[in-house]
Amino acid sequence: MRHPAGTTLPLFRRAFVDSWRSTLAWAAGLAAAAFLYLPLYPSIGGSDQMQEMINALPAEMTRALNYDQIASGPGYAQATLFGLIGFLLMSIATVAWGAAAVGGDEESGQLELTLAHGVRRVQVVLERALALLLRVLVLAALAFVIVSLLNGPSQLDIDPANLFGTVVLFAGLGLLTGTSALFVGAATGRRTYGLAAGAAVAVLGYVFNAVGRQSPDVEWLLKVSPYHWAYGNSPMVNGADWASAGWLWGISAALVALAAVALEQRDVGA
Amino acid sequence: MDIAVSAHSLTKSFGRREVLHGVDFEVQAGSVFGVIGPNGAGKTTTMRCLLDIIRPNGGEVRVLGQDPRAGGPDLRRRIGYLPGELFLEGRVTGRKLLSHYEAVSGPVPPGRINELAQRLDLDLDRHTRKLSKGNKQKLGLVQAFMHQPELLVLDEPTSGLDPLIQQEFHAMLREARRNGQTVFLSSHVLSEIQQTADTVAILRDGRIIAVESVTGLRESAVRHLRFTASHTAAPDAVALLTAVPGIGNIEVLESNGGVTLSAVLEGAIQPLLHALGRLELTDLVLEEPDLEESVLKMYAMPRKEVR
Repeated sequence: MRHPAGTTLPLFRRAFVDSWRSTLAWAAGLAAAAFLYLPLYPSIGGSDQMQEMINALPAEMTRALNYDQIASGPGYAQATLFGLIGFLLMSIATVAWGAAAVGGDEESGQLELTLAHGVRRVQVVLERALALLLRVLVLAALAFVIVSLLNGPSQLDIDPANLFGTVVLFAGLGLLTGTSALFVGAATGRRTYGLAAGAAVAVLGYVFNAVGRQSPDVEWLLKVSPYHWAYGNSPMVNGADWASAGWLWGISAALVALAAVALEQRDVGA
Repeated sequence: MDIAVSAHSLTKSFGRREVLHGVDFEVQAGSVFGVIGPNGAGKTTTMRCLLDIIRPNGGEVRVLGQDPRAGGPDLRRRIGYLPGELFLEGRVTGRKLLSHYEAVSGPVPPGRINELAQRLDLDLDRHTRKLSKGNKQKLGLVQAFMHQPELLVLDEPTSGLDPLIQQEFHAMLREARRNGQTVFLSSHVLSEIQQTADTVAILRDGRIIAVESVTGLRESAVRHLRFTASHTAAPDAVALLTAVPGIGNIEVLESNGGVTLSAVLEGAIQPLLHALGRLELTDLVLEEPDLEESVLKMYAMPRKEVR
């Protein structure tokens, strides 16, 4: 072999190692959010007073915020962590990573030098997508561990199997936003376009879910909302819809493949 | 001799703007080939085509016998490339960055990286984004040279380097040549090409307007001449000089008993020496040929008159 042992997947290793600080920061943020929100459940979500307050809110608002199930432990974790603050943190992280992976690297002028070395463009996209996947999995696994840890002390009463399914969906949703940013970045060579695409998937997904739940007239919006695919049937309460998970992960994989094809076809740094 | 790099009728457009209008050249294996041209002439674009970073619209490119796109990673491992503008912004030390590129394009002989870094006076343990422009350039040179590639493609290699390091770089080029490596380099400074290259191609507006050996360029280049002769009248000296082929711009600078003349010479120097032999010279300055002048003339010439 040309390469000594220990140098397999060099681009993946570099992408992952170079971003460990950022991975750590996002993990810390996610952990802080979980430790902040979940222990409050016994005094907020589970209390009758809170339920009365939520009942007093306009129904549109509770639906938009996914607070209609906040009275149960799983529903509370779903609405606050996976549906809101965790979703927000995960989306921002993956959009930034995805947009930087190829488009950002090209815009900063560094991709040119990498491509002048002994690599294939397809390999560049795949290894960097793999680094993105690993970072998403780190965050998702962390969410799984923390929620499991807090499950007893915070009286959440979450079924571990449902938690696992939700985490798979949570990771799938993060991957989809990240790979959208990756694909558009790779196709255009512009970091900003990647950021815009990833943010659009996350934000529009959220908005379409919030609006689509308001009335049967706009229910079709739910069909095009990745957020709704993931959380529409309240996976923490009812268990994951594995077909949805398949879609999220499958489309993400397809976007990576498209990114590879797009980069393979065009001039770099022109 | 083998041809290491060739381009035939190479064209490239970005959108509607055509930047290469049919570039032709051949680089002999084991030689140093310099491309010179004003900014925007297409030097960087040509080099990027050799590395398959951008793809030509037309024409044929062969690098080490292969089409750059078909050659893929295996071909690029045989090339060392220094981009014209080097961006290294990572929070990573030079040493780690180099070992990354070694993992991709290696193998690199043990000790080679340290040796190169020492020659170029580069600190490998600093984070790349904190390096000055010159030090980034040195890191770029190390990554291009470290795996001793058959072909070096260097875009403005000395930009940002101080004169001492430039000399060291020129020594590295001579060594590469001695090892049988081929070098394709660009510059907008002629003196650099003049010092290092065997052949020089002049690129202007996306076309090669001349390919010459540096020796040939030197012969055809203009030399400035000044001499003082005693016991000679100015008109006699002028007449004598006028008879020499290739002499022009004769000026009498001083004439009091002896005479001081200046002139320019284009072409062979033997006839001039022959003529000067008849004078009683007290001073003679025959300058280095000024290639810059002849190249600038070519830049300015209308396209058809070149060659």
